[in-house]
Amino acid sequence: MYKVSAVAELPGHEDRAWAVAWNPAKSVLASCSADKSVRLYSYSTTTDGELKFVPVSSIPTGHTKTVRSIAWSPSGETLATGSFDSNIGIWEQENGAGEWECMTILEGHETECKGVAYSSTGTLLASCSRDKTVWVWEVHPDADFECLGVLMDHTQDVNATTHSHISPSPAQILASGSYDDTIKLYVDDPTEDWYCFSTLTGHGSTVWSLAWSPSGSYLASASDDKTVRIWKRTEEFKWESVLAISAHDRTVYSVSWGVGKPKEGGLGWLATAGGDGSVKIWELKEPEVTDVVAKNTPPEHRLIATLPSAHGVHDVNAVSWSRKTGMEDILATAGDDGATRIWKITP
Amino acid sequence: MPAEVFNPNPVVFSPTKGLGRKSELLAQSLWIDEPTSSDGEVDDVELIDQDEVFDLIRSIYDPEHPNTLEELRVVSAPQIKIEQNWVTVEFTPTVPHCGMSTLIGLCIRVRLLRSLPNRFKVDIFVKPGSHQSEHAVNKQLNDKERVAAALENPVLLDTVEQCLRDAGRRGLPII
Repeated sequence: MYKVSAVAELPGHEDRAWAVAWNPAKSVLASCSADKSVRLYSYSTTTDGELKFVPVSSIPTGHTKTVRSIAWSPSGETLATGSFDSNIGIWEQENGAGEWECMTILEGHETECKGVAYSSTGTLLASCSRDKTVWVWEVHPDADFECLGVLMDHTQDVNATTHSHISPSPAQILASGSYDDTIKLYVDDPTEDWYCFSTLTGHGSTVWSLAWSPSGSYLASASDDKTVRIWKRTEEFKWESVLAISAHDRTVYSVSWGVGKPKEGGLGWLATAGGDGSVKIWELKEPEVTDVVAKNTPPEHRLIATLPSAHGVHDVNAVSWSRKTGMEDILATAGDDGATRIWKITP
Repeated sequence: MPAEVFNPNPVVFSPTKGLGRKSELLAQSLWIDEPTSSDGEVDDVELIDQDEVFDLIRSIYDPEHPNTLEELRVVSAPQIKIEQNWVTVEFTPTVPHCGMSTLIGLCIRVRLLRSLPNRFKVDIFVKPGSHQSEHAVNKQLNDKERVAAALENPVLLDTVEQCLRDAGRRGLPII
């Protein structure tokens, strides 16, 4: 078994912290909150090999309501904020190093924007909202964004969107999870526009969070039904529910899929967190190969660590693995206490 | 206020002092019958029972009537359950098509959010079979993102504040 050790506690927000995001290119971590601000922390490794975090700046944002979600572009230069004021803010540093400036505001959603996500190439941004839609934006130079499509397939609030990390043939897939209990998968049809090619049903309540496996062949979803489901690509355009894990005692608000400490056949580590205040780490492996393996054979899963009361008595709203080489065992969480906490998974 | 009145003529019950309260029935201190707090319980953790929670919500006004939720028998002490730090509040809409149910539930949630220690997790449900959109109402009331967004809506928040304006009376009459 493994244990989860505290590395740092980063207080700062005056209200519930909703999300946390590691900059993919720089040693920076961002969190966002109901206090309408974004906080940025930088980290470095001391000579003793200890990770040290220091607050570097705070962006007041100018959003008039909760900043619900944040996403870094793959270059690490641009930060997108999704707010309950229905707008999306696009932020860059002056001359790449100075004050954070609002480059543009993307308007379009009619009600709360609940999620933003960049594609792995950085050329697309997806946003989702209580207005039941998912918007796909094309990223042009000079903070110019063009709406490529408005996907209206969900029947209720859309809580989460995510692009597949890698580009499984033939195209990147966009996934969205909703208050209507379903997950929708979309691809870009070269002859037409983005369209929904699959609806994944199985959850008994709101889908709060989605995470692609590092290999791109699985998708994990977290739900108000207290379970985490694993969906597997069994054909080019077919995804099936292969596993439902009773993960938490209350709503599962967040799921993150990292590479973990790779082992043979390893699919990485899944981190889950929720309204019961705990964080759980699951190890996933490809199914044991026997003579005949059905395509929808579930991966093997094992709970390798549990951290109760990660944020005291408060809900944990977000969990996110560091993607940095050498830091695959480092996890960030954000909670209703307004804090961001950093954890290390050790044997 | 809404143009449509969902229940124009509700039955109003006079709030007999202590009606339905376990502690008054026992005519004893609120704390005496509680499980002993001596073994392992930290002293500064305040014990809270269903009567205490009922006191917090009984004087919330109904959004469309000049009566409290207690007077309309929308809430009662036996409909409140507490297990450790989990509080479950069930309430009874006055009519099954009551469009005010989500607002009533929101008022109860906000009141408890503001007055209970933050270690408590609160679930709010309508009484099973009491509302035609039971599932939808329950889902909305227990979705913290929707609740958070609702409380950032100034009009809605103002309505909630109106319903909560005398909630601090805790069942006592207006002086």
